[in-house]
Amino acid sequence: MSACAGVFVVSCTREQSTGAMALQREQQLNRFLTEVERRALRIAEISVRDRDEALDLVQEAMIKLARNYAERPEGEWTPLFYRILQNGIRDWHRRQKVRNRVMVWFGRGTSTEDDYDPAANAPDPAGRSPEAQLQSSEAMQRLEVSVHALPNRQREAFMLRTFEGLDVAGTAVAMGCSEGSVKTHYSRAVHTLRDKLGDHWQ
Amino acid sequence: MKDPGKQIEEQAKELFDGSVEKLDAATLSRLNQGRHRALEELRRPGVVHLGRFAPAAGVLAVAFVAAIVMRGPPNIDAGVNPVTATDFEMLLEADSLEMLEDLEFYSLLDAVDAEANGNVG
Repeated sequence: MSACAGVFVVSCTREQSTGAMALQREQQLNRFLTEVERRALRIAEISVRDRDEALDLVQEAMIKLARNYAERPEGEWTPLFYRILQNGIRDWHRRQKVRNRVMVWFGRGTSTEDDYDPAANAPDPAGRSPEAQLQSSEAMQRLEVSVHALPNRQREAFMLRTFEGLDVAGTAVAMGCSEGSVKTHYSRAVHTLRDKLGDHWQ
Repeated sequence: MKDPGKQIEEQAKELFDGSVEKLDAATLSRLNQGRHRALEELRRPGVVHLGRFAPAAGVLAVAFVAAIVMRGPPNIDAGVNPVTATDFEMLLEADSLEMLEDLEFYSLLDAVDAEANGNVG
């Protein structure tokens, strides 16, 4: 009888411990996603130039991370998350190309490029004057257009290194390439942006 | 004088961070919903986290293949029946997995059977 009770207690303790670990993991993942989601959204938005599409891509990346990699060490989440997101963005571009071809075939073009307005009309949290805000939003618009115009791999390297702050190794994992390639893509991206934006930003 | 490349990086980062801060409430709300949907994935029953079982499954698969290779091709001349689909089904049934550990024993049984049949015949 006491042996049965002992087994029951051990079983209950084990279940409680597993539940506590699951809760802890969920809290860690929640913290991680909260920390990363806004930058990820802007990175996706600059890549696809559409906020709704970017929101879908980020949500999909968050779900895939939770479903497939939640058990991985927390330190690996950032490059894994961005790898999922970048794959999603690449797939999105492929689908767009196919869609555009079909639309051209039926004689309809897409007007997303012209309709896009990256400057949100939200009040400025830094309390800057409307003129300063306008200058800043124009500069951001120029930056977005220039970064978007970069070749895909250069754009990925630049955004992951500069905007997300990943190191070369993390960027290589996120892009699925070697560290040498990351350095090359990044260096080319910075040179191109310097040539394009240099006059405005000096 | 500051390196122009470095200056571009710093200004780009500053502008980017500013644009992140300026995200509107509706967008933040949608991000929040997306995050909660992702976290629900962790609580969904029946979601098998393959990562946890991958090493064990890998070891099991390697052991299974190694056992088949070590056993060699079936000796049809000696009167032993070749491994049939039913044998594999039996082996792969969830509650028969421990049989994999005793493959050598079952091989020996086969050999003994074959020898006995040979003696009778």
